[in-house]
Amino acid sequence: MPVGWAAGQRRAFLLGLTPSLAVLALMTLGPAIYLLITGLTPLTPVHPATALDFSAPLQNYRAALSSAEFLNSVRVQAELSLITVVLQLAAGLGLALLLNLPSRFLEVLRTGFLVPMVLPPIVVAVIWKVLYTPDISPMHRLLAWIGMPVHSLITNAGTALWAIAVADTWEWVPFTLLMVLAALQMVPKEPEEAARIDGVNALQLFWHVRLPYIQSTLVVVALFRLIDSIKAFPLIYVLTDGGPGGATEVTNYYAFVQTFNFSYWGYGSAIATLMIAGVFLLSWAISRLGGSRTIHE
Amino acid sequence: MNRHRRRAQAHRLAVHASAFILLVLVLAPALWMAQMSFRTNDDIMGTAFLFAPTLDNYRALWTGSFPASFVHSLEASAAATVASLLLGVPAAYSLARWRFRASARVALWILVTRMAPPIAFTIPFFLAYSYLGLIDTVTGLAIVYLTFNLALVIWTMRSFFEAVPRSLEEAAWIDGCGVWGGFLRVTLPVSMPGLAATAILCFILSWNDFFFALILTRTRATTAPVAIVNFMQYEGWEWGKIAAAGTLVMLPVLAFTFLVRSYLVRGIMAGGLKE
Repeated sequence: MPVGWAAGQRRAFLLGLTPSLAVLALMTLGPAIYLLITGLTPLTPVHPATALDFSAPLQNYRAALSSAEFLNSVRVQAELSLITVVLQLAAGLGLALLLNLPSRFLEVLRTGFLVPMVLPPIVVAVIWKVLYTPDISPMHRLLAWIGMPVHSLITNAGTALWAIAVADTWEWVPFTLLMVLAALQMVPKEPEEAARIDGVNALQLFWHVRLPYIQSTLVVVALFRLIDSIKAFPLIYVLTDGGPGGATEVTNYYAFVQTFNFSYWGYGSAIATLMIAGVFLLSWAISRLGGSRTIHE
Repeated sequence: MNRHRRRAQAHRLAVHASAFILLVLVLAPALWMAQMSFRTNDDIMGTAFLFAPTLDNYRALWTGSFPASFVHSLEASAAATVASLLLGVPAAYSLARWRFRASARVALWILVTRMAPPIAFTIPFFLAYSYLGLIDTVTGLAIVYLTFNLALVIWTMRSFFEAVPRSLEEAAWIDGCGVWGGFLRVTLPVSMPGLAATAILCFILSWNDFFFALILTRTRATTAPVAIVNFMQYEGWEWGKIAAAGTLVMLPVLAFTFLVRSYLVRGIMAGGLKE
């Protein structure tokens, strides 16, 4: 093709790309820079002058690192993330292995298994609020009926985080299931058949033949869920409100409370900045692991 | 051999049966909320399993402020979906066909946008919106949803466009179409199912949002998810109304899911879906 055409083509592509990049830059880079700046001030809407007070730029970060509440929120976050990622991977893998049979019937069922993930998160929160409220919960009634009554799980500091983790797992196992299933369907059939002829059992088949093919997907899925677990909000907002006594107050929730309930905007911004840094590191890890390519196919 | 086949068949049957039972268990919590919406409040507190269904809760919702918030949700989600497709589709096509040096970096940036915690955006957005008078407006919400949909549109549509063979477009170019003429006449029509799925995914993600609407709206632009929470805080625990509102909010999402399930799966996998 002539040179003029190639140049014209480049111009056309640039024209298609520019508006989106401009909007993205304005709406994502802009706020990120603004956030970074407010994180260096003691900004609070009660005193508008605080917006430009840069006299002690690192005070918010220093305050965060010496705040028992913040450190507790990081610990709670780490616990919740670890529990949910492990539960979701294990359950998703188990379900995927079960559903990995060529069958029309199972294909129809698979769509049903997706439901919890597409439901509005606030509806998921309401659904579990019903299950965790002893007065009206079918779960509590069933337990009482078989002679094992339990007190509310979400008002008990020892069980609240687990209650959240179970609800979160219900919501997100469909995602891990979907990804693992897609990976399982790419496993070539020949080695599997050869192994079967050699008479290996189901566990050996999984461990030595299938796992090597799907382990990179498992890592990427785990990282995706790990990043997403940092955003957990509606479940905590509706089920426990961060309580009891901070037992379910993850960092995201802590930042929300500090900013929008107590009006410590500068402090909240600093914590949000720390969270972005964490998410950025994890995203970078995903892209290094070839995550975007795996996800793409 | 015969015994072998019979064993394989028994195994198949067992898998199907256990998968079905598991699905019923997985869906049970959602179904429980849906049936609650047809009970009176006294009935919900009672222990009877069987009940006489009533539409009282839905009637109560209809006469309150809930329909208005439902409309706000529809408006914000639809506007954000249309705007993000208009902006994002040409960008996705450009990224799919044009290999320039920074394209991998742009792609990573788009991924990070999807991954960043919403709290990091709400603080600057809230401050800017207060200044611009966009707090508590449907327009303000639509702009936020547009931003997050845009990343998704570019990410998913790019993979759909990459699957369209270039030879089709080249034929259109030889016939005298420009880049965008060829795109509109050849590439876009072939990608229609992908476009529909992406549009639905955008709509669902905006519809499902709770966090931004909670912070950026007060009373005039409340969305349906926030309205549900208001039933918990201000009007006491009206479980019947909460369940009815929850059922209404999840119905459009369920309908869409079953309508475009296979494409939705592709979209979710391309976007690494987020709430």
